Amino acid sequence: MKRRFLRLGQRVLYIVALAIVGALLCATMVRFAPGYGVDESELDFRLSRSSREAIRSKHQLGEGMVSYYGTYIKGLAHGDFGTSVSLQQPVRELLKARAPFTARAVSVGLLAAWILASTLSLLTTRFEIWVLDYFATAATGLLIALPTAVVALGCVYLRVPVSLGIAVVTLPKLFQYQHNIFGHAQAQPFVLAARARGVSRNRILFRHVIPVAWHPLVALLGVSASMAFGAAIPLEALSDSPGIGQLAWQAALNRDLPLLTSITLLVTLLTVGVNTLAEAMHEEWV
Amino acid sequence: MKGRRALRMLCRGVLLVIVALGVFAGSVTRFSYAFQFRELPNAPPSALHLLGTDQLGRDVFTRVLYGTRISLLLAPAAALLTTCIAAILGGIAGLRGGWLEKIILATADLSMSLPLLFVLISLRALLPLDVSPVLSVVATFVVLGLLGWSSSLRVVWAAARNLRQSEQILLARALGYRNSQLLFRQTIPSLRPVFLAQFWISIPVFILTEATLSMLGLGVMEPLPSWGNLLRGFEDFSAVAANPWRLAPLLVLVLTVICFQFVFPESEEFAR
Repeated sequence: MKRRFLRLGQRVLYIVALAIVGALLCATMVRFAPGYGVDESELDFRLSRSSREAIRSKHQLGEGMVSYYGTYIKGLAHGDFGTSVSLQQPVRELLKARAPFTARAVSVGLLAAWILASTLSLLTTRFEIWVLDYFATAATGLLIALPTAVVALGCVYLRVPVSLGIAVVTLPKLFQYQHNIFGHAQAQPFVLAARARGVSRNRILFRHVIPVAWHPLVALLGVSASMAFGAAIPLEALSDSPGIGQLAWQAALNRDLPLLTSITLLVTLLTVGVNTLAEAMHEEWV
Repeated sequence: MKGRRALRMLCRGVLLVIVALGVFAGSVTRFSYAFQFRELPNAPPSALHLLGTDQLGRDVFTRVLYGTRISLLLAPAAALLTTCIAAILGGIAGLRGGWLEKIILATADLSMSLPLLFVLISLRALLPLDVSPVLSVVATFVVLGLLGWSSSLRVVWAAARNLRQSEQILLARALGYRNSQLLFRQTIPSLRPVFLAQFWISIPVFILTEATLSMLGLGVMEPLPSWGNLLRGFEDFSAVAANPWRLAPLLVLVLTVICFQFVFPESEEFAR
């Protein structure tokens, strides 16, 4: 029990350390981005020197690095992610408004992809029919060769939801991983021995193959979350869906680094959190 | 097995033709990729313009050829960068072990959890607005190369760790090899098939990522062509439906990526 708490503490510490390092990196990117330290209103030639100084001090431009980092991290600790340069709105409010859409699209898409990929890989493992195997491999091979942005345009054209696009993008990768995992489990000596003894295929699959494949499959959960969030950017951007992905794309086009770095930091922490959860589940079962 | 070998040879042949067309684009077509036939915008295919022209009157066939050159020269360059980083860091982690191994693996795990596209567009957004098209191409592929090493590192590390226990390394240690000599003279040459496999795997990933980035307007900038920014024309569905030959860049891209999936030689396939 004590060991378990110790591990949990280590993981929490890791995420906190990651958040601090990530925040410092974000702050550095914002600080050294082209255009930092320049307010457009300063270019107004009618302004006196004191007015310009007042503008600079209002936006805290030209302050020292230590004070800059201090202010940035203090703001983050209080849930203040700064203000979007392009949209002139607090980043926190923008994220709050758009996060539910992306969360729903990513979770539905991932769920659909997992169900389809698992069904397909279990069917190919159970029946070992070469036509099915070739068909599944060819279909997923073709899907994997399509850029995510093309899938996004396909979604717009066919008027299907973003979640389906996320499923289409993650399905082939998930299938290929799962197919390999089940294939590896099926090649284990005890599975071969069970076959030689005439154990039924269903029993081999459910009693021998799935329990072995279970642990790497859990580890795949975290990776798939990262893949789904990555797919959300082009899908939301090109299908004009009001989610975090579209916001990130708009921020990138407008060089809105305070917004972009905050989104990246949040999504990273979220995916690391999912990974940590998957690892914890893995260790619990092992 | 025989069928697989035939498929591999076919894919190699197709890739060779595509690469040759890209490399010798200047000899295959007499137009420049940026030259505009202002009197011929959106022209259908003809003897002069094999794939017609785009909205600005530029020859699409020429742009596909030059786009092939850019995508197929820079994606392998980014893959090489990724493989080099993975080889050195993975080799060090596998050979040295201890705290250094833990740090490198933790960094790789963290890098693997990062949503690549979010980080990519953040770094890409750091470039000034007036950046030149050539610099945008180089920056896109350098960033891809610098961020894509983590999954390769895991594979290299596992292979290097196995090698650490081998007689070859024990003998080299007994002969007084320094760590750097062990890495560059023993480990890296022995793991060459692993590196080659990782190199081949990374190329299609980078081609696809560049395509997505460019379609979003965050990759290779006009007037330079790449497969990604050639696909931007797809946003106009009615034009694509009326002029199906505009699908040519997508077909070349998909064909290339599929071929890359089947070109592994036996030893590299084993290493994969």
